[in-house]
Amino acid sequence: MAPKKKAKASVPSQTLVIDNGAYTLKAGLVSNEAVDLSYDDCSVIPNCIARSSRDKRTYVASELAECKDFGELAFRRPVEKGFIVNWEAQKAIWEHEIMGADAGTELWCEPKNTNLLLTEKPNCPKELQKNCDEIVFEQFEFAAYYRCVGGAMNAYHSAFLGALPQECLLLIDTSYSDTTILPVYKGQLLHSAVRRLTVGGKLLTNYLKELSSLRHYNMLEETYLLNEIKEAVSFVAPTTQQFSKDLERTWKGRLGDKRELDSSIVLDYVLPDYEQSVHGYVRPHDPAKSRMRRGLQPLQGPREDLLPLGNERFAVPELLFNPADIGIREVGLPGAVIEALSGLPESLRVAMLANVVVVGGNTLIPGFMDRLEGELRTLVPSQYLLNIVRADDPIKHTWLGAARFASRPDLMKEALVTKAEYDERGSTWLGKKFAGGDR
Amino acid sequence: MPHVEVLPNSATQIAPGWTYVVDTGYDPSKIAINPKNKKRAAANPNQRGENELSSRQQTAIARRIAELNRDNDPKQIISIPGKTSIPKTQNARRIIQYQRQIKHWLDDEEAQLALVQQAPLPRSATTASRLAAQPLRRTSTVPPTPSELTPAPAAPTPNKPMSSRMDLDDDPLLAIDSSMPLPISQPDLDALLSAPPLSYAASHVAAPAPGGPPQRHFCDNCGYWGKIRCLKCGARVCGMECKDAHEATRCLKWT
Repeated sequence: MAPKKKAKASVPSQTLVIDNGAYTLKAGLVSNEAVDLSYDDCSVIPNCIARSSRDKRTYVASELAECKDFGELAFRRPVEKGFIVNWEAQKAIWEHEIMGADAGTELWCEPKNTNLLLTEKPNCPKELQKNCDEIVFEQFEFAAYYRCVGGAMNAYHSAFLGALPQECLLLIDTSYSDTTILPVYKGQLLHSAVRRLTVGGKLLTNYLKELSSLRHYNMLEETYLLNEIKEAVSFVAPTTQQFSKDLERTWKGRLGDKRELDSSIVLDYVLPDYEQSVHGYVRPHDPAKSRMRRGLQPLQGPREDLLPLGNERFAVPELLFNPADIGIREVGLPGAVIEALSGLPESLRVAMLANVVVVGGNTLIPGFMDRLEGELRTLVPSQYLLNIVRADDPIKHTWLGAARFASRPDLMKEALVTKAEYDERGSTWLGKKFAGGDR
Repeated sequence: MPHVEVLPNSATQIAPGWTYVVDTGYDPSKIAINPKNKKRAAANPNQRGENELSSRQQTAIARRIAELNRDNDPKQIISIPGKTSIPKTQNARRIIQYQRQIKHWLDDEEAQLALVQQAPLPRSATTASRLAAQPLRRTSTVPPTPSELTPAPAAPTPNKPMSSRMDLDDDPLLAIDSSMPLPISQPDLDALLSAPPLSYAASHVAAPAPGGPPQRHFCDNCGYWGKIRCLKCGARVCGMECKDAHEATRCLKWT
């Protein structure tokens, strides 16, 4: 502690907060002692470089909004399994969005006059953490820097408690790369109880892509489209029993005993042709029109390609609750929560269950919260209070927690490491400090 | 993948002229010469447990999950458009030029862990062994210095019962002390807080308990219940129509 007191005096007053997700990065500038932070202070930017083989153009991050043809769009993502792996691409995206000359004014900052608060996924390999620290100081040259597990930052939401973080928080983060369960005690992650599920949004999209390609058209190159379809149609069955019922309703029947598909559950997705339309849309299933689809399209007038979606709608998100359905040897999300808590003393377990917060993009799938709460309630002893909520904006919630942390000079003073300290002590020391070993 | 199992394979080593094989007590070549049982092997329930998968199926499943979980397209290399700024140090240049994927880093991590622990835990560590390993890790860590301990109230009892205690403090019928869990002791808490992070592989949840609900099987083609097992590859289908489609497309017999 002793030798770093002098350097602390000259920390800049603004902090760049980045929640660097695999699918989107959430970023915003936070000034020292900002009071009324909200979700609006956060920009959500696709964290990818996309290449279209059709118009031969490469789209970097937010340029994706200009794209008019998502057909066969290929993505390069610097973040794999939630960790920054490819710094060449990540640097290009950061420079494009934040530090570069042509970056938007809202996010633009000069790293030398800015602190960086960067969040990461738990259980990051140490080598990757080291790379990250070295790039932040040696390439970007931020004035000061703090790297931490994003989920733990959600303990800093409570504004009225003043300086104290929430005492016990069980955070479930079901995001693009995977799903993690993070017990947080007074803002500190209980590392030994962190658990992770392989299933995340990426796997769900890829699974839908595989199913649609097998059953209808070859769509293996259409990642963007299938992600849109997934977001438009999928839902989580409220119970296992309802899942079975829905599966019956979407059954096509036996050979010789065909059933009409139930149009109250089967949908047709009208695929975009990228000439008239950029995005597709959903409508209830119409058997007459899908018969027409097979070669009987009118030569004049609007042609349309339909993708019928039956059991894909709920069988795909079902993987979050039953990964064994496709052979992943893991328990479902409710079981994973119980497993994470099983390593904790009972008093902590009780307190964690009374404050469960769910964040991440998969929570936006209709029915997700009801199913999770229902199944968790049956697994938790009945005398325990179970209080589970979804964050108001599950995508930006972690960023906001980190931003609230960054707006508190007292907390930041303890956490930040300045460039001078890094230059003096090196990245191995820094890695240990952020891991909590040096305090 | 956290869970690694030795796949049942038929040949372990290949040498000219002869080969080691795993003795499964069932020799298809002998059965073929002198069949005791006229029924086909795949229809024989004793041959393989109901939910056990052949090595070929297990490989196919593992490959499929890896495919579903892949981050970047291996076929296509997308270069950064425009001119990029020059790396400022040699070290930064090295890091920026890495073309490794996450699996390389994770494998590195595993290898280093195995080096550190003289007797390396197999990666197939089940929950039980992982939980057993935790107390070891806890005791081996250095206790935190006092500066880490925030001036906390003595016992972190849950907030819920506190509010109800306010006004009806001495009513014995409303006493909840007996139903309250024991408060956590400070050394236990310190140990929990200072426990080091698990490795990526160890952070995955365990496989479902064997006594749990049985695995559900779905039709390989249409996604309805998979009531029938394909005789050739063991995948499940729902009926004749899907069986034909399955054999035309995904049947593993030809892979």
